[in-house]
Amino acid sequence: MTDQSTKNLSPRQASERVALTIKARKRKESQFLFIGQSAVAVAIGFLILLFAGILSKGIPGFFQHYVTLEVQLDAAKLDPTGQMTIESLSQGDFDGAVRDSLYLALGNPEGRKAKRDARKLISSGSSQRLMTYVLNHPQQMGSTVAMKFAVDDDVDSFLRGFISRETSEADRRISDLQISYIDILDAQNRLSYEISDYLFFGSASRDAEMAGIFGALIGSLFTLLVCIILAFPLGVGTAVYLEEMAPKNRLTEIIEININNLAAVPSVVYGIMGLAIFIIVFGMPRSIPLVGGIVLALMTLPTIIISSRAAIRAVPPSIRDAALGVGASKIQTIVHHVLPLAMPGILTGTIIGMAQALGETAPLLMIGMVAFIVDVPTGVTDPGTVLPVQIFMWADFAERMFVQKTSAAIIILLTFLVSMNGVAIFLRKKLERRW
Amino acid sequence: MPDKTLGQIFVDNPRVSARNVDVFYGDKHAIDDISLDIGASQVISFIGPSGCGKSTFLRCLNRMNDTIDICRVEGEIKIDGRNIYDPLIDVVSLRARVGMVFQKANPFPKSIFDNIAYGPTIHGLASSKVELEQIVETSLQRAGLWEEVKDRLDQSGTGLSGGQQQRLCIARTIAVSPEVILMDEPCSALDPIATAKVEELIHELREQYTIVIVTHSMQQAARVSDRTAYFHLGKLVEVGDTKQVFTNPKHELTQDYITGRFG
Repeated sequence: MTDQSTKNLSPRQASERVALTIKARKRKESQFLFIGQSAVAVAIGFLILLFAGILSKGIPGFFQHYVTLEVQLDAAKLDPTGQMTIESLSQGDFDGAVRDSLYLALGNPEGRKAKRDARKLISSGSSQRLMTYVLNHPQQMGSTVAMKFAVDDDVDSFLRGFISRETSEADRRISDLQISYIDILDAQNRLSYEISDYLFFGSASRDAEMAGIFGALIGSLFTLLVCIILAFPLGVGTAVYLEEMAPKNRLTEIIEININNLAAVPSVVYGIMGLAIFIIVFGMPRSIPLVGGIVLALMTLPTIIISSRAAIRAVPPSIRDAALGVGASKIQTIVHHVLPLAMPGILTGTIIGMAQALGETAPLLMIGMVAFIVDVPTGVTDPGTVLPVQIFMWADFAERMFVQKTSAAIIILLTFLVSMNGVAIFLRKKLERRW
Repeated sequence: MPDKTLGQIFVDNPRVSARNVDVFYGDKHAIDDISLDIGASQVISFIGPSGCGKSTFLRCLNRMNDTIDICRVEGEIKIDGRNIYDPLIDVVSLRARVGMVFQKANPFPKSIFDNIAYGPTIHGLASSKVELEQIVETSLQRAGLWEEVKDRLDQSGTGLSGGQQQRLCIARTIAVSPEVILMDEPCSALDPIATAKVEELIHELREQYTIVIVTHSMQQAARVSDRTAYFHLGKLVEVGDTKQVFTNPKHELTQDYITGRFG
């Protein structure tokens, strides 16, 4: 081989050599493409599997069985003092009224055991339901009304086919007598399968058929409200200060590193801190959305600060020059030009942070928001719980019906998360177009 | 390197007078002992190879260097007899008097009207909406942009062409009625036609304003300026009437630069 041939290939030789390598290069490219595409396919497959699983389990949770009974609203029994107020009605025998209508439908069973079995067919919340109805419809007092009452969760499971007739009586949660009563009610077309109003408007309850997410939802709303009121201004303010105002020295460097590290701290640690500081040192009550919101605000602050700083940094420096050049002060430059341009990014980060806070369980367990609270909170200082904690508690209960309710609640939580992310995308698109 | 600037540093009744100005970026000595007077109603151009300090010196004149943490300015720069680095001087009011046009046209991503109105609004120059509209119109007219944009004042300033954007920035600068306008290579991103328009505009504005322009184009310096200053490695080598500097430079470096031997 002469010197010339190694140093300077003729164009023909060169193209021959190139042709040799092309095949290998193309193969590598198609290999990588194949890996990428199969990864996407696997991911989509799992996503479909996940959603199919949640939906198939969860959608039945949105429904439950009801029984229609004709209840006689006897003023003397239900409202002994005749004032039609909550106080006077709570002395009335609503339990008895519901019971009597049930016995009537079943052909007046005899004996204590028969009566007890009959009573256990319907939800123990039925009398409460009747009382609420009477309060809202006082003119119906004295007449007979047809009302739908939820059936007991065991009856519901039986009607769904989870409890089989073939199982021996000792091994199932409902008796043969109860099954015969269910058949009677079914024959009279009294049983119906409908969208569960308890799920949406009910609160925490040990009775699966009455359990609902309303209290937890309101608790979540209050908690997020506190969280956003604290975290948004603090986070954006911190980001502006660090990005635009703070001198670049050792101290700010340490602060920056720590903020970035805080984003990676396990959320339960924030819960422990909330417990130690707000509840033990400051003596704030347990289980309240105010403390929950503060803890979640501390947890989401790093997310908001980091995304806001990135958004502020992405604003072109020429805009700052332009504003300073016409004589705007630093604050005017930030408020009039930098922040509006950074807002889509800031809002996206904030909403993602809020979505994270909405789905958080661990820190709230630490500050006692896991308590069993039946009343719907009416303010940030009322004890309450939140959606994910409610799901966590339901998942722990043994009753069959809680499985469906848990899945239904998960779907509701996911709906909120997806719509919050949707709002984030919408805001980003809309604000970007304006500028 | 010259120890002393050649040519006429001083003028009668200067609007801007810089004395023994040094600028440091950290340890780097960017401007080395520059003294220069700039007269009113005069266009002066700063020329010189990249990194010679001409933009740095320009940015000293409205204290835009303040935004750079490591930048330190020594010496004295007086505008209308007052030292602008005096701690009592408010940088906001200084920048209202010394406007600046940047290398890259940087309109705010707002409407054309809001772009012009922003300066007068924050400085409280207009007492009514009518007055503000008047300011916007005259500024755009002076910038030679009015005819092109009068029907779409509510559209975004970023939707204009590059040349129009730069004239919009000039209009935005003159809307706050400054005394001095600093231009940092205003035509470097423009095509020859847009450049000609901006130069024409500079020609018209010279009556009312003191204009300092940094340029890489020697033809442009020759066309628009009354005086020319040649910077080299942080020093002001020579300053004089444009005609004299271009036809009969006193310093060898100036000679080499304008004849294209380097730069």
